[in-house]
Amino acid sequence: MSQQMSPVNSSNRRGFLVRVIQATHAAIGATLAFIVGGAVVAPSLGRRESQWLHAGDVTQLAEDVPMPVTLRIARPDGASEVVERRVVYLVRSGDRVRALDSTCTHLGCRTKFNAESMQIECPCHGGVYDSAGRVISGPPPAPLAAMATRIENDQIMVQV
Amino acid sequence: MVGRLLAWLDSRTGYRSLVKLALDEELPPGTGWTFTTGSVVTMLVGCQFVTGLGLAMYYVPAPSLAYDSVRFIMQDLPIGWLVRGLHYWGASFLVVAAVIHLLRVFLLGSYKAPREVTWLSGVLMLLVILAFALTGYLLPWDQKGYWATTVTINIARSSPLAGEFLASVMRGGPDLGALTLGRWFSAHVFLLPATLTVLIVAHIALMRKHGISGPVAPAPGAGVAFFPRHVAKDTVMMAAVFASLIAVAALVVAPLDEIANPADASYIPRPEWYFLSLFQMLKYFPGPLEPVATMVIPGMVVGFLLLLPFIDRGEGRHPLRSPRRMLTAALAAIGIGVAVLTGLGVADLPAGKDPNDWGLLPIAGHAIATADGNTCAACHESGGPAAPLEITRLTKDEEWLLAHMADPVAIAPGVRSAGDPAPAPVMSRFKAQAVVAYLRREQAGHRAPQVEPSQRLAALTYAESCVVCHRISGEGGTLGPDLTHVGVRRDAAGIKAVIEDAPEMYGETEMPAFRDRLTPEQIDALASYLASRK
Repeated sequence: MSQQMSPVNSSNRRGFLVRVIQATHAAIGATLAFIVGGAVVAPSLGRRESQWLHAGDVTQLAEDVPMPVTLRIARPDGASEVVERRVVYLVRSGDRVRALDSTCTHLGCRTKFNAESMQIECPCHGGVYDSAGRVISGPPPAPLAAMATRIENDQIMVQV
Repeated sequence: MVGRLLAWLDSRTGYRSLVKLALDEELPPGTGWTFTTGSVVTMLVGCQFVTGLGLAMYYVPAPSLAYDSVRFIMQDLPIGWLVRGLHYWGASFLVVAAVIHLLRVFLLGSYKAPREVTWLSGVLMLLVILAFALTGYLLPWDQKGYWATTVTINIARSSPLAGEFLASVMRGGPDLGALTLGRWFSAHVFLLPATLTVLIVAHIALMRKHGISGPVAPAPGAGVAFFPRHVAKDTVMMAAVFASLIAVAALVVAPLDEIANPADASYIPRPEWYFLSLFQMLKYFPGPLEPVATMVIPGMVVGFLLLLPFIDRGEGRHPLRSPRRMLTAALAAIGIGVAVLTGLGVADLPAGKDPNDWGLLPIAGHAIATADGNTCAACHESGGPAAPLEITRLTKDEEWLLAHMADPVAIAPGVRSAGDPAPAPVMSRFKAQAVVAYLRREQAGHRAPQVEPSQRLAALTYAESCVVCHRISGEGGTLGPDLTHVGVRRDAAGIKAVIEDAPEMYGETEMPAFRDRLTPEQIDALASYLASRK
């Protein structure tokens, strides 16, 4: 090897060294970012697990009369746990049972079933639905949300 | 394209001249690998900041949730265990790296004028790093952290004059509890990081102001360019230390003890290894001499470090030549003292609880909680009034749990109307205590062992009749002898004889004869289990 390094050679060496330094720092940073970023982002990618809950029995339901039932939904909430209450209308039409979420589709108020008028009414802005959850009048933009149901030995199971 | 963008950014901000200012420095000739220790410390501090930020997103600084939130990080959060592992082991790496950096600066005499203030800021940083370690230890709210912190606060209390006041400020009140956790958390994530950042900026600015000290004896030849020649060495060291940290964190899962139990005064506290020497020293200065170990000696060591550049005002930088020889001997004595005390401390460490040794109480609890027709699952089920057991957290204290198990309905508000009479207890207090012991093990992530029917019978009998006076594997009363290793002292026949009629064996004794209280099967099951405990 010659004692005297040509300027081109020395500049190449320096460029290479700079690139190795940059790459190493980037690798350290990327490893940390991957590990910590992964732990930060991971819960955002999780989806709420659905569960089937027993909501009532077919024999309790009169034809086309919504029956409100309260479901208790327990789920982990990070390091803690919550039990939510959700009111659902069960409506039987012949052999078929539907479950309607009682939340008004307008601004999220809790609706009530009026047994005299046989209508579901929202106390907040006067939205009115029929017993199948269809909008009759008022501001709601959509019918009440239907939830998946299935019947096992006359027991009505609702997916929440 | 990128080049043009950066050129524009430079024209508006002038960042290139800033980078040039940061990197363009000529170091004294002969500056080599020994001068990479500071970069390693800086890298580790950065690592702690980033992993701490991740942990702070999930950690809850309240006694009812702190432990569960750490357990959530360890078990439920994807790669959360690795983030905590990096933070946990990073703390040890940082203490070691900071001490190595300090030793390097000492050995090369780099603290001498005009660099006295640089040295002072460095010693302060070491103290801040130790304060980080101390405050962080409590945060998981496990047995280890809780009882080690109790000792720390008692040490502060032993200081003269203001000791009692200092201790109650550290606790935030008369007891170690929610207020303590809140202030230690705040110190750990706000106060100390801000202090450390200011000190690091000052330390680096001072280093640049005075230049680095270079080798002890000036080397001939041209200076070394900081960038890229020396930065390359820094980078190699940082990468090597970082890779080791990742490896340790990935291979050794950061420990988490059982949840803090203030009622369990039998727990023997053990500090983190870097405080073990201080802890060990306490044992040699009992009673009124305690402040010697807690205040005088540590105070002298810190004072020696702080005053070092003002004591050592001579020209020579060689650590083994006059006038520095005595100082080197003093520091070596401190180092040997710390090492010996740490070694003695390690030898003195109480044997940890074996997570696989369930004793009898948790096994009884497991048998009760999982028995056919057990009452827990009546409410703790999907769609029931309480969350299913697998997601239920132990956020309440032991008294609450025992009351809940005796009368589960009473503390679920609104379920029973005012007119209803209180029902007979669903579970006796003894059984409930067994279930609580089981839940603690389960919560700490230990799985229940498979046991023979005779051991289950022994466990249930122990939980009803023996637990009040006899302790096994950390659980139970202390009126009678600890039975954890009773098999060493007696064989099955001897144990059976004692259980059947202790007064006949011992004469005057508190222990009644159990011949008529227990069935022969229960006595045989107990005797054969206890004889197996060696």
